[in-house]
Amino acid sequence: MTRIPGLPVSPGVAWGPAALMLQRHPTMRYGIPAADVDREIGRLDQAREVSATQLRAIRARVAQRAGADLASLFEAQVLMLDDALLVPRARRIVESDRVNAEWALDRAFDEFCAVFAEVGDDYLRERRGDVADVVGRLRRNLLPASAGGVRVLAGLAAPAVLVADDLAPSFAAQLDPSMILGLALETGSRTHHSAILARSLGIPAVAGAPAVTAQIRPGTTVLVDGDAGEVVIDPAQDVVDQARSRRARRVASAGSAPASAPGPVTTADGVAVRFLANIERIDEIDAARAAGAEGIGLFRSEFLLAGRAVEAFDEEAQYRVYRDVVERMAPHPVAIRTFDVDEAQIAGGGPGEPDDGARAREAGLSRGPLGLRAIRLSLGHRAAFETQLRALARAGRHGAMRMLLPLVSSVDELREARAALRSATRDVGGSGPRTPAMPVGIMIEVPSAALTVDLLAAEADFFSIGTNDLIQYCLAVDRTDGRVAGLFDPLHPAILRVIRDIIRLARPSGREVALCGEMAADPGALVLLLGLGVTEFSMSPAAIPEARELVRQVTMREARRTAVRAVSRPTSTDIAALLAARFPALASWPAGRDGRPHMEGPS
Amino acid sequence: MLERTVTIRNPLGMHARAAARFVHAAGAFQARVTVTRADRGDRRVDGKSILGLLLLAAARGAVLQITAEGADEGEALGALCRLVEAGFGEEP
Repeated sequence: MTRIPGLPVSPGVAWGPAALMLQRHPTMRYGIPAADVDREIGRLDQAREVSATQLRAIRARVAQRAGADLASLFEAQVLMLDDALLVPRARRIVESDRVNAEWALDRAFDEFCAVFAEVGDDYLRERRGDVADVVGRLRRNLLPASAGGVRVLAGLAAPAVLVADDLAPSFAAQLDPSMILGLALETGSRTHHSAILARSLGIPAVAGAPAVTAQIRPGTTVLVDGDAGEVVIDPAQDVVDQARSRRARRVASAGSAPASAPGPVTTADGVAVRFLANIERIDEIDAARAAGAEGIGLFRSEFLLAGRAVEAFDEEAQYRVYRDVVERMAPHPVAIRTFDVDEAQIAGGGPGEPDDGARAREAGLSRGPLGLRAIRLSLGHRAAFETQLRALARAGRHGAMRMLLPLVSSVDELREARAALRSATRDVGGSGPRTPAMPVGIMIEVPSAALTVDLLAAEADFFSIGTNDLIQYCLAVDRTDGRVAGLFDPLHPAILRVIRDIIRLARPSGREVALCGEMAADPGALVLLLGLGVTEFSMSPAAIPEARELVRQVTMREARRTAVRAVSRPTSTDIAALLAARFPALASWPAGRDGRPHMEGPS
Repeated sequence: MLERTVTIRNPLGMHARAAARFVHAAGAFQARVTVTRADRGDRRVDGKSILGLLLLAAARGAVLQITAEGADEGEALGALCRLVEAGFGEEP
């Protein structure tokens, strides 16, 4: 048994046979039942055929351009393809070890390399590169051309824990929670889109678990503890038993949640707090309702694109989705955020595909957090924006629909977007004396918006603080860059101050300010946010029951006192210490559902 | 079964292309061909397997022991030894 610490990014605990996915050289590794041996051998043989055809074509081309001598290198590669030590060896590994074709091929190559590593001669040792070239070609030809690992995942015979070096959000969005029990990732953080998706799918996940993929062998069992942030390789029986009883408690409490009268929850001293849900897929509505969400505070419409170009998702298709969400959530309000993507994604790159950076740069498309994205992109690509606005205006007639604009950084942008909405509403004949205009809110994510909330309040109907981006822009941290991701600090005094000031600047206008970032899913941060004056939260459905429970146990009075002190502490470490001192029960939250100590600090 | 030793002469040793030529030459005969390092004598590999030959890591000066067994073993052994001694037909 090996324990690997990581970041808890999606709550819950799960264990099962490991399925390994390496995105850097895309490979899926998993065990297969005896019935699939022939299929996997067939895949190997087919990959060998395709590779041989490709290599012969390359050889002919090189012979023509560079001469027979260089071309003979590819003749050598053709021989390697047919060599008994490679594909035939992999075939035997599929049969004897019952593993999929990719895994068997990697094993055969590893065996070869293990012997070759002993070779003393540098020049000859470099010949390993020729073999690696052939193996790389076979690997690529094993994978279906476009679908990457997703189609391979479809070959999973039994539910498994997915262990991966990295997970693109477009891939995470397609995971089937009935087949993927849990996620153990080497990279990522709480606010990575894949972590957000894991939470929305209710899949326990741990991110930032170093070198976890290197631990996976045939038949390895993996336990993912998304509460404590730990991956356990080949867990001992008592560890599994503990996890099982914890999961049983969680299921029991989740089952009782709807009975606990969804609706306004109040703090221990009677202040009402509202919880709404962040979702990106329509099938999350049931989970949102079951969790007691009083609406959808954030529907991330860009996930509807799922890697397709925006043109592929026309007005009618969008209208049907938006209408469906708003009707199924009735009578609660639904805030649809317009596409929050960059130029590469709206061209069909998919949100955050790991390898589309180069492609996007080649095509001259804008990428990155400071580029042409979100509202800037919508105002620039008018046709796509107008399509979305018409769909929203039509769907808005069917319920309490609100529109939320991402990344607004000036009043000008808000005005332009509102004008576009008015015109779209006229186009679809949606305005009239009987139909009230759809409320338009903005995300507060950019410091320029945070500093001018009072000015924006004159023209925005409501605000939603997007903490993920707000923290990124305030602290100048690219959270996708592992080397600086550690600087992404929700408890930085600057973050607490900017949230305090947003609330203060909005107050005279009476505009409501919600907070929709993942920051609120952290119990300590939630207490501070309450104290800073936030009383409406939107978060992933899975996080709502525990947050509601926490709110019931704290008093607003104590939360305020703590927050007032916290904003004057110099570092996040000091702020965490302050929280620990005033709310000692937070340390063990959410453990011990039964007989939990009353959540009250010293007064 | 026939057997002979022969020394690698070309500067780059038995690299991928050289090994490919050896495999082609061996493949022209019915005889079973195996190769081992006479100067190390550890591993005996199939003379018709390019990856096996690469595993011998035969740099310049390495001494190979080639065996051939089968109807055309004499011709096979002669042809393969000539190929190695000719430096696999590469420029010296």
